[in-house]
Amino acid sequence: MTFPDEIEACLPSLRRYAFALLRNRDAADDLVQDTVERALSRRHLWRGDGPLRAWLFRILLNRFRDDRRRDRASLAVVGTMIEPPVSGGQDDHLDLREVHEAMGRLPPDQRAALLLVGLEGMSLGEAARILEVPEGTLASRLGRARAELRAMTGRAGPRGERKATET
Amino acid sequence: MPDMDDAALLALRHGSEEDRARLDRMAEGDPALRDRLAGWDRQDAALHALYDPVAEEPLPERLTAPLARPVDPPRRLWPIAAMVAPLAIGIALGWGAARWTGDGEGGADSLLASAIRAHDTYVVEVVHPVEVPASDKTHMTKWLSKRVGQQLTVPDLTADGFRLVGGRVLPDARGAAALMMYEDDQGQRLTLYIAPEPRQPETALRFADKGPTRGVWWVEGDLGCAVVGDLPKDRLKAAATRAYDQLTGA
Repeated sequence: MTFPDEIEACLPSLRRYAFALLRNRDAADDLVQDTVERALSRRHLWRGDGPLRAWLFRILLNRFRDDRRRDRASLAVVGTMIEPPVSGGQDDHLDLREVHEAMGRLPPDQRAALLLVGLEGMSLGEAARILEVPEGTLASRLGRARAELRAMTGRAGPRGERKATET
Repeated sequence: MPDMDDAALLALRHGSEEDRARLDRMAEGDPALRDRLAGWDRQDAALHALYDPVAEEPLPERLTAPLARPVDPPRRLWPIAAMVAPLAIGIALGWGAARWTGDGEGGADSLLASAIRAHDTYVVEVVHPVEVPASDKTHMTKWLSKRVGQQLTVPDLTADGFRLVGGRVLPDARGAAALMMYEDDQGQRLTLYIAPEPRQPETALRFADKGPTRGVWWVEGDLGCAVVGDLPKDRLKAAATRAYDQLTGA
């Protein structure tokens, strides 16, 4: 596979991740487009050691952090929200709408970390290298993210009580 | 091990195959742990249910188009590209000059636009990134100063991890401009663009960006300067500040 082909093979998961992170379709594709352009212009810096996917995610997340630093307001816009499918209320499934809302209330660094392992299926080591934090730090961050998510999705106490205070 | 905290359990859950097998064995005799793990499984299942549909959509054209462009032209085309690029910049500048309003923003827009265009054109150059290499720095400084029409200093940015690659002369709407290129150990390149800016009000350091390339610019005396690079803002700012201090003799 050529370099552009390899990038293209990563696009579906980059788009999924960017959307879950930014929660806005246009902003997500802007971020992915930026990532692609940057990867192409810096391909001489990619030494082929390690998976290209990890390198692309690192570019995407650096870009995401830069954007947030530079312009926090622009990322706080209320985006075009998808209407997530609503599950039928069985006890072994979480309410998807509730999860989507709760993900939006997680601090961005927790959301970024949880999505790398929980959604993209990366190992702790791989995600730690992408985020450039020690594995122990990432494990704690994941613990907090999952506990928050659990609390906000009504599994850790009286349903709705916490939600009422946050909205 | 009922006392293990979430972080330790998650390190196993998202760890190696061995770690996961160990976690499974621990959960066999521990219903409370099984519950905790099941809770995390439900979270991951919910994330997949929510966001997987995005990964199954057809890719938008704006993401695939850049990949279809030839990104690595054959080597022998480089000299031609190098000859054509300044011409293209000259034409673009001619157009840009029409918008030159004389106020700080209009001038800045053109200065930074030229600097970014020059940066984008030359940082990708493998064979001829500069006309005069850093090894010939004394000659380069004299030559660039003569063409720009003012005594220039070549800033030393080694404290920021950038060593000089060299420099070149470029056509600018207001005369000849100088481009100095720097590179760090990772091959990351930074350019300093210096062009005549007569009768422009002096400015402090200003930060601006366009696409993935960023620039810091200022006007001092009759010169407009811009430092451009694909760098984190802090690093770019640090290098630009150092260049500014040396160029203005601060």
